[in-house]
Amino acid sequence: MAAQPKPLPAHQPSYLEGGGILGWLTTIDHKRVAVMYLVSALFFLALGGFEAMAIRVQLWRPDNHVLSAAIYNAFFTMHGTTMVFLVVMPLLLGFFGNFLIPLQIGARDVAFPRLNALSFWLAIVAGILLHLGWIRGGLPDAGWFGYANLTERYFTPGLAIDWWVIGLLVSGTSTVLTGLNFLTTIVAMRAPGMTYMRMPMFMWSLMVTSILILIAFPALTIGLIFLLFDRFFDTHFYVASAGATPILWQHLFWLFGHPEVYIMALPAFGIISEVIPTFSRKPLFGYPMMAYSICLIAFLSYGVWGHHMFATGMGPVADSAFAVTSMLIAIPTGVKIFSWIATIWGGSLRMTTAFYFALGMLLEFTLGGLSGIMHASAPIDLQQTDSYFVVAHFHYVLFGGVMFTIMAAFYYWWPKITGRMLGERLGKWHFWVTVIGFNLTFFPMHILGMWGMPRRTYTYGADMGWTNLNQLETIGAFILGVGFLLFYVNIFKSLSSRGERAPADPWDGRSLEWSTASPPPAYNFATIPQVRGRDAWWILKYGRAGSRGVAAYMAGQAPVQPQPSQPVSVEDIHMPAPSIFPLVLSLGVGVIGLGLIIDWYRIILFGAAVAVLSIVGMGFEYVDFGEQSHDPEHAPSSGGVDVRKIGLWSFIGSECVFFASLISTFIVYKSRSLAGPGPKIFNIPLTSFSTFILLMSSLLMVLALAATQRGDKRWERIWLAGVVTFGLIFLGGQVYEFTSFYNEGMGLTTNLFSQSFFVLVGFHGAHVAIGVLWLSVLWVAAMTGKLGKSRALSVELAGLYWHFVDVVWIIIFTLVYLMQAVPGA
Amino acid sequence: MSDIADAHDGQTHHPGAATYVIIAAFLGVLTAMEVTVFYVHALHPVLVPLLIVLAAAKFALVAMFYMHLKYDQWLLTGVFIFPLIIATLLLVSLILLFAYLSNHMAPIG
Repeated sequence: MAAQPKPLPAHQPSYLEGGGILGWLTTIDHKRVAVMYLVSALFFLALGGFEAMAIRVQLWRPDNHVLSAAIYNAFFTMHGTTMVFLVVMPLLLGFFGNFLIPLQIGARDVAFPRLNALSFWLAIVAGILLHLGWIRGGLPDAGWFGYANLTERYFTPGLAIDWWVIGLLVSGTSTVLTGLNFLTTIVAMRAPGMTYMRMPMFMWSLMVTSILILIAFPALTIGLIFLLFDRFFDTHFYVASAGATPILWQHLFWLFGHPEVYIMALPAFGIISEVIPTFSRKPLFGYPMMAYSICLIAFLSYGVWGHHMFATGMGPVADSAFAVTSMLIAIPTGVKIFSWIATIWGGSLRMTTAFYFALGMLLEFTLGGLSGIMHASAPIDLQQTDSYFVVAHFHYVLFGGVMFTIMAAFYYWWPKITGRMLGERLGKWHFWVTVIGFNLTFFPMHILGMWGMPRRTYTYGADMGWTNLNQLETIGAFILGVGFLLFYVNIFKSLSSRGERAPADPWDGRSLEWSTASPPPAYNFATIPQVRGRDAWWILKYGRAGSRGVAAYMAGQAPVQPQPSQPVSVEDIHMPAPSIFPLVLSLGVGVIGLGLIIDWYRIILFGAAVAVLSIVGMGFEYVDFGEQSHDPEHAPSSGGVDVRKIGLWSFIGSECVFFASLISTFIVYKSRSLAGPGPKIFNIPLTSFSTFILLMSSLLMVLALAATQRGDKRWERIWLAGVVTFGLIFLGGQVYEFTSFYNEGMGLTTNLFSQSFFVLVGFHGAHVAIGVLWLSVLWVAAMTGKLGKSRALSVELAGLYWHFVDVVWIIIFTLVYLMQAVPGA
Repeated sequence: MSDIADAHDGQTHHPGAATYVIIAAFLGVLTAMEVTVFYVHALHPVLVPLLIVLAAAKFALVAMFYMHLKYDQWLLTGVFIFPLIIATLLLVSLILLFAYLSNHMAPIG
């Protein structure tokens, strides 16, 4: 007989209570992680804002020298880098995403809480690395896009770009882990009844954004790895004099860079789709079309990168293709704007500050979108490239569209997050000052751009006629700064003793986060909610969804406060235990980066040791506690698929793009070498043997899994040992191959062919080595009797990774080795 | 006798050892065909399409049977296939873009 549930305590301690500083440092609670993202992002917002103000002061008058040219370059570089990687993404994904995903889908935490904490600490390490140039070596100064070959050591010696490369690699890793975590959480951990078409639109946007992250960031990672090799190991991936082309960097960067715009914009679209219906007291108009539009925008965003490169001479066919896709993306974006307007139309509007900012976003983003369509046209874009018109455009998109949305989100969800209201009166001042400052700052840039003022220019002559508009912009920037000051004051006032306490549902909200306390308890929900339709909380309150629910509301029906049907005792809810290892592992990674930059191998070894020990420590935690909550109400999976399996498949999907970038670079470069050995150096019989060995290792891997699943310990050990052995034979073959190439005069830096070959095959080899290590651990576990049938999933996950390494080799063997007789691309 | 064996927790069915061995044999044969194609000069005019078809077949066999996409939920297939399509498009696009660049750029040196 089931035990009687104990009554809920009158006071449910919020997630903010208890633990002290150590509690925060070791937290893996998604809400606390979110708050830590907030604190860091607000710090970097102030820093990035300061850099922007300094830029505007420098441009106040002609021939100004308030800043040196070098500092000016560093400031516009770090302003862009900081705002994109350390402010906007951390706020949208790290803060709002982290806080709201489990609350909106009715879960207790994200799928991988430790990984979530690791993502945060890696982001902090990235932020520190990016700014260590203040102390040593100078700030990065090649633009946030870091165009090659300006970033090569020949043109930019010193440490500045090194900080930038390592910092962004760490930041990218953090973001990919976040994307993987969010995607798995939204796919697999929704409350019972919450189908995809019942999810809040913010969840749709974050789900699609996570997919975008997984397929966009690998391109940047590869671009940065090439740059790292150029700077640290003397390769020539972007050096024209070696036969390479700096255009490769532009392709890889914008393959990431344009989806990145939507990685920032899509969550903003999702937020606006939450704010507008709440304050219009209407369901979101055209919900299915809004969801499909998000998907279409994301898909198209991966095919428009070339419109950043019209000036590089891609040819008429490519220009036309990119122009068409860039124009097409305006259609689903337009669908969203019209749907928001239709939601407002006929609504019972409540003019709160959040709604003000949402309306502001609608106007300003539309203006940015219109100038964006101009860039889709190659002939017009050629006139605007590298002019202030472009600066105006992307600030209307990223500030007008995204930052206005972030502000709307602050005013909307702050009561839920902190349990305090933000001041409405001060908020409206904040809004109007921001609108005035924003438009004064950025609108004149359209005109200056059309007049020919180049972006990134350090100063200008008095005879250019640009002075008055530049001064107007600088005044605007200071007004904008005042707006931000009001925002910070509002935050501090809210958190002080004078801040008004927030009820659980201050806005009469529609989604599940409003059903729990403000601020929520650590476990989010005493019982996991049952979802009966879209706008799940609204239905629970008013009994009806859609227009009938609105009618009930308009008729004055008082909302009911539903009680959990089967309240459980909070003592029965088990949340994952805190862990210090995400923090320590991130520190280890940071130390490795530091050692690499200051060229001190002992520091690198120390960092690596710390990182490895942390991973081992996390492994032991995993064995002790398991990755999932033990709460039987909180199913860790959806449709019978374990979250770890979904997570690993997501990672494998991301790796597809990673290897595609490496392979395409090899194909592009293999015949561009100016001297030295080429593809004829390959030893096909040896490689064919290695290929066969790796394929057969996959057979042993599935046999090992089958043995584990049927509880056959003897064969489990034998097959696992076989996979490890075959993996080692493959790696031995690769070592032999590399050594023989070296002896024949082909080293890493010999030519473009050798460097792209060694990096591609070397990375694959590193993956094999990780697989061998992973499987060795499993073999030890099998030998000590700790594996077995109940842990078959561990073998399955390792197997999936191993088979993926295998299929990548199938492609490499064909495209890299066997097609050597084919003339270069 | 069916060679389909029950998998863990009864949620999905994975093939048995016999199927795995047959697939391995196919993989071995396909690899041998690839290497043969490479060494037969007469086949060089169609080397690229032949190798791509053979590699695609091997890729599909491993993904479907060893990675169990044929037996697991469609969700996992989607999570893998969509990035794979994107990766393929990326590969083809970059090759084509640089092919144009190579044909129209000034000679180096």
